[in-house]
Amino acid sequence: MSALVLALAVNGLVWGLIIALIALGLSIIFGLLDIINVAHGDFFMLGTVVALVLTLATGSYWLAIALVPIIGFAVGLLLERIIIRPTIRQASLTIVTTFGLSMMLQEGVRATYGPQPRRMAAPIEGTIPLFGIDYDVYRIFAAGFAALCLVAFFVFLTRTKLGTWIRAVRHDPETATALGVPVARICAITFGLGTAMALLGGAIAAPITTVEFRTGVDILPFCFMAVIIGGLGNLQGTVAAAVLLAVLEGLVTSVTDPTIARIASLGLMSIALLLRPHGLFSGATR
Amino acid sequence: MTALAIDDITAEIGKIPVLRGVSLKVEPGETVALLGRNGVGKTSTLRAILGLLKRTGGSARYNGTNLDDVPAHRLAALGIGYVPQGRGMFPLLTVKENLTLGLSGAPDPTLMADIFRRFPRLEERLSQAAGTLSGGEQQMLALARCLVMKPSLIMLDEPTEGIMPKLVSQIRHEIAEIAKRGISVLLVEQNLRTALRLASRVYLMERGTIVHEATPAALRADPSTVHRYLGVSL
Repeated sequence: MSALVLALAVNGLVWGLIIALIALGLSIIFGLLDIINVAHGDFFMLGTVVALVLTLATGSYWLAIALVPIIGFAVGLLLERIIIRPTIRQASLTIVTTFGLSMMLQEGVRATYGPQPRRMAAPIEGTIPLFGIDYDVYRIFAAGFAALCLVAFFVFLTRTKLGTWIRAVRHDPETATALGVPVARICAITFGLGTAMALLGGAIAAPITTVEFRTGVDILPFCFMAVIIGGLGNLQGTVAAAVLLAVLEGLVTSVTDPTIARIASLGLMSIALLLRPHGLFSGATR
Repeated sequence: MTALAIDDITAEIGKIPVLRGVSLKVEPGETVALLGRNGVGKTSTLRAILGLLKRTGGSARYNGTNLDDVPAHRLAALGIGYVPQGRGMFPLLTVKENLTLGLSGAPDPTLMADIFRRFPRLEERLSQAAGTLSGGEQQMLALARCLVMKPSLIMLDEPTEGIMPKLVSQIRHEIAEIAKRGISVLLVEQNLRTALRLASRVYLMERGTIVHEATPAALRADPSTVHRYLGVSL
C-alpha cells in the first residue's frame, strides 16, 4: 500500500514536471501578451500527435522530439501573426479567438489523424525498482528531461539579451520600445516559445499517455490552475504550483479516484485564492 | 540643420484629441523646455514624437529624416533618447540590465567608465535590482541608460518629479552637463525654476497646442503670461 502511494506520488511528480513546462508556456504568453490562450491545451495535444506521427514516419522518437519544439515555434509564430496580433491587448477577445483556434485544432486533428485514441511505444524500455515496485525508466527520463527544459528556459530568460528583453517588455513595452527593443518581434517570439513548450510537453508525454484529439481538454484546466495558484505572471510560482498540484492529485488518487483528486486540486485553488489572492508564491520575484 | 522639427502634429487618445497641431523646434545642442499645466499634452507631445502615440497629422523630422516611416523602436538607434515620466525603470531587472537594455553589443568601455565616474553609485549596485534604488538613483540610472546609447537628442519628461529636494540640484546639474556635451535636450517640466535655469528657449502649452514661445529672460519679465498659462507666480 505505501509502495503504491509512493509510486503515485512519483507519477504525480513526473506529470507535474511535464505540466510545469506546458503551464510555463501558458504563463509567459499570458504575462507578456495579456492573452488567455484557451487553445494552449490543444498545443499539448498537437505535440503528442506530431511526436507519434513523426516517430512512425522516421522510425526515431529522438528525431521526433527534436523536431517537435521547432515545429511548435513555427506554428506559434504563424498563429501569432494571423490571429493574436490583430486582437492584442484585448484579453476578452482573445478568449473567443483562441477558443475558435482550439476547435479548429481538435477537429483538424480528428479529420486528418483520426478519432481513435492510440498508444505509443516507450522509446526507452525496461523498468527499475523504485520503492519496491518496478517503475518505467522512460518516466524517470521524461521527468528529468522536463526539469532540464525548465532550467534551460530560466537560464535563457535571465542570462541572454533576448530573455532580458522578454522580461522588460512584460513590464513596460512602451519604455522598452523607446530604448530600441523591437516589441512586436519580442511578442511574436514569446508566443512561439510558449507554443513550442506546450508541443514539447506533448512530445515528452506522448509515450506515457493516450494520443488523441481530445487530450488538450484535460490538460488546459490543470495548466490554468497552476498559473492561478502560482500567481498570475509569476513564472517560478507556476512551476512550483504545477508540481504541487500533480503530486497532490497523485497522492489523493492513491486513496480514492482521479475525480476526487481533481476536486482536491480545485479545493486547493479555492483556498489559495481566498487566502492569497495573488497566488501562493506572490512574494517571489517575477 | 535643425535637430528636431515637428510641424502641426495632431494625435488623439481614444478619439479624444490631445494634440491639436503642435509645432516646435530644437536646434543642435540647444536645451528647450516645454511647460504647461497638467493634462495640456506635454507628455503626449513627447510620445507622439517617439511614435508611442500615433500621430494623426503633421510631420516630425529629426536631423532631416522624416520620422513617419521610422518604426518607434528604431528611434533610439537614430540617436533619440527618452527618459519617461516616473523614470521608466524595469524594477525587477538589475541595474546593469537596465543600463544596457538598448544595446545589442557590448557597451563602449570608455563611455561606461565616464558614466561610472559621474554616477559611482550605479557601478556599486550593478547586480542589484533597479527597484531597490532610491528615486534619485533611479533617475541617474534613467539618464545613464540614455547616455550609453550615444544620443544626439534627449527628451526628458519631468526628471525632477518625486525626487528629494536635495537631489533636484544634482539632477539639474547632470542635465546641464549633458547639454554641455552638445546633446540637444527637450525638457518637459512642472518645475518652472528648473526649466528657466536650464533652457535657452521655452514653449508654453495649453489644451493641446503651443500658445507662447519665449526666452527665459523674456518670461521672467512677463509674469502675467506665466500666471496665465502656468497658474503660478515667478
